Amino acid sequence: MARKASPARLVIALSVAGVLAVFLLYTSIAGGGNPSLAPSELAGRTGDVQLAGLVVGPVRGDAHDGGLRFRLRDISGESKTSVRVLYTGSVPDLFKVGRHIVVDGELRKGTFVAEPSSMITKCPSKYAPKQSDSST
Amino acid sequence: MPELGRAALLVTLGLSVYALVAGAMAAHLGRRRLARSAQNALVASFATTAVAAAVLLGALLRNDFSFTYVARTTSEALPTAYTISAFWGGQEGSLLLWLLVLSGFGAAAVSLNRGWARDLIVWVVPVFAAVSTFFAFLLVAVASPFATQAAPADGAGMTPSLQNPYMLAHPPLLYLGYVGLTVPFAFAIGALLSRKLDERWLIATRRWTLFAWAALGIGQLLGSHWAYVEVGWGGYYAWDPVENAALMPWLAATAFLHSVMIQERRGMLKVWNVLLVILAFSLALFGTFLTRSGVVNSIHSFTQSAIGPWFLAFIAVVVAFSLGLVFWRVPQLRSPTKLESPISREAAFLYNNLLLLALCLAILWGVVYPLLSEAVRGEAIVLGRSYYDFFLRAFGLPLLLLMGIGPLIAWRRASLKSLATTFRWPTGVALLAGVVLLFLGAGSSVPGLVAYTFSAFVLATIVMEFARGTRARKALGATTWPGAFRSLISRNRRRYGGYVVHAAIVMLAIGVAGSSAFDSVAEAKLAKGESMTIGDYLLVYRSLDERASANATEIRATLDVRRGDRDLGTLQAGKNAYTIEQQVSNEVGIRSDRLTGEDLFVIAEQIDPDGSIYFRVFVKPLVNLIWLAGLVFLVGSLITLWPDRREQRRLVARASEVGIPATP
Repeated sequence: MARKASPARLVIALSVAGVLAVFLLYTSIAGGGNPSLAPSELAGRTGDVQLAGLVVGPVRGDAHDGGLRFRLRDISGESKTSVRVLYTGSVPDLFKVGRHIVVDGELRKGTFVAEPSSMITKCPSKYAPKQSDSST
Repeated sequence: MPELGRAALLVTLGLSVYALVAGAMAAHLGRRRLARSAQNALVASFATTAVAAAVLLGALLRNDFSFTYVARTTSEALPTAYTISAFWGGQEGSLLLWLLVLSGFGAAAVSLNRGWARDLIVWVVPVFAAVSTFFAFLLVAVASPFATQAAPADGAGMTPSLQNPYMLAHPPLLYLGYVGLTVPFAFAIGALLSRKLDERWLIATRRWTLFAWAALGIGQLLGSHWAYVEVGWGGYYAWDPVENAALMPWLAATAFLHSVMIQERRGMLKVWNVLLVILAFSLALFGTFLTRSGVVNSIHSFTQSAIGPWFLAFIAVVVAFSLGLVFWRVPQLRSPTKLESPISREAAFLYNNLLLLALCLAILWGVVYPLLSEAVRGEAIVLGRSYYDFFLRAFGLPLLLLMGIGPLIAWRRASLKSLATTFRWPTGVALLAGVVLLFLGAGSSVPGLVAYTFSAFVLATIVMEFARGTRARKALGATTWPGAFRSLISRNRRRYGGYVVHAAIVMLAIGVAGSSAFDSVAEAKLAKGESMTIGDYLLVYRSLDERASANATEIRATLDVRRGDRDLGTLQAGKNAYTIEQQVSNEVGIRSDRLTGEDLFVIAEQIDPDGSIYFRVFVKPLVNLIWLAGLVFLVGSLITLWPDRREQRRLVARASEVGIPATP
């Protein structure tokens, strides 16, 4: 080969290596994300998880004073198990009984203690998901 | 009326299938009249889709609740403007909008280019037809907007947060962007199929790509602004899958717009460009799929959605077919030139491309990770905000820096010494800005400080370029300075429009860094007359009022705002309770400082029966630069999009020089 090898390949190889290095750095520092679970899958779990479920009343308490208390059950409706949730912090507009919500937190002595202000509401099936039901 | 809509869609499907089959046969066999007929079918399919769209629009405006779609998305009390926006508020309507824009763009792009690139166009037509066949099929067989029912007394109404002027512009702009990316895709695939792999497909689609890209960009910023002022949680971007759905194709298109210049100028990166176009289009489809199928929540909801599996299958077919075709044509895509040095304009553009792509793929990975982990491990793992923030910094900050370096570095090969001379001033400015900011206390966030320093560097290069160019034009005989400036831009719209867009991105970076790295928040429960402080602001809760509007009860708290000893007037924050929809929405109070771009952002989070309110207050420095960046972005895009005969002639001449006879 008389042609001098193009540095393009070198550049691409180095860049790919760089991207991989950044990725590895991230996974080693931050670890993975949190598992997303339904209330029926929660029993016996420790550590931070994301809980997605349907709000079951009654809703009691004050989110900014002692915490809001309600129960969550599976959205799919196949399981009737529900879990007690204690929630503090900001409550999205769309929160109410019958709505789908997602909260982060962990199970402590049978109660799911949510991280403050971690609640996200998802619109019920009336609308296909749109930006509106994402973050509130 | 619904029969007319259904019939129109059926005819559209027939025309699309005809354009696909006849167009492919005509192109393969070289039959000119058949090709012409396929083109006409494509144009006609726009007309029939328009009829279907008119029927749906008519039903919406008449509040004809015998249309299931109308009953599900609107109500009698809904203002007319939002009744129109219900067209794209639901799944079926937005698919119809997709098809309408697609057939319109297809008809226009084919008609405009069939004169000078006929041999290319004959293959472009069946590609367009294939895409519109898919959408027409969905609308006819899977998700018909013309399903009927016994009309209920009133419709279900529209989610309150969608009852907003932004929803008139934000979704259609995103659709213009998504669908617009079909045009470069169809031309790229057409070029591959026809083996006419010269630069003409790039020239024919450059403005379409720019337009789609600009629409996506503006659409996203409008969406962010909507989230900021309407959704009222104090942010503007949450890395939600449906937000990422628009960002990913935008990033891919940004990479493409840059690497195209390398192919035009040096004939390099041909395979890469085709791959980027395929990626951008696939991501546009994927984006529509994400927002419309419900798959974002979980794999389980995916199976409940009727269009989800179809969409996924179509994306798979598009990717497999396109990649196979590229692989098959690789021998014809060899570049006549190659990269000469890792320090050159070409190399800088290549780094830019790799970084944009890395960011895009990192986001894609974050979006699909819950689904993949659910499929593999039976448990969905969600990657949170920190994941995305990390990659935005890791890939975004170097990109920001490259934005200053790339446009100024020499083609082919640059010496380190020449770089030192070129970047002497910008580096000085950046270092000075960094030191001053550090002194002012910006060291509290290192990524924020780095972003500011890089931004200063890029702005300095842009100012330098404009100054140098204007001076040169003045020396070449322009009589006045403004005249020299105007002639500078009009003589090279692409370059200087590009700089304006770069300036917009820098403003965006400054706004994002300021509002996310240097913001502050305070919370307090206040009874009437009580006060709270945040930064040097003092807020006093004065009164609470209730009033009824057409479709909601509005509750508003009034606060007096002071800063130091200056009285800044009052601010209102509260909630709207929507009657029909039985929903409550936060109505935040925002006070923008015109001089510093800082916002005071007040949320009345919880209003107790005794009138006391739990307030959450943010101070967001420089956040208004983000919205201003949107305007600058629009101006820059318009400059590059403005028709420029001289440049078009130059490009056509260069394309024909490359060797393929371009029929004028």
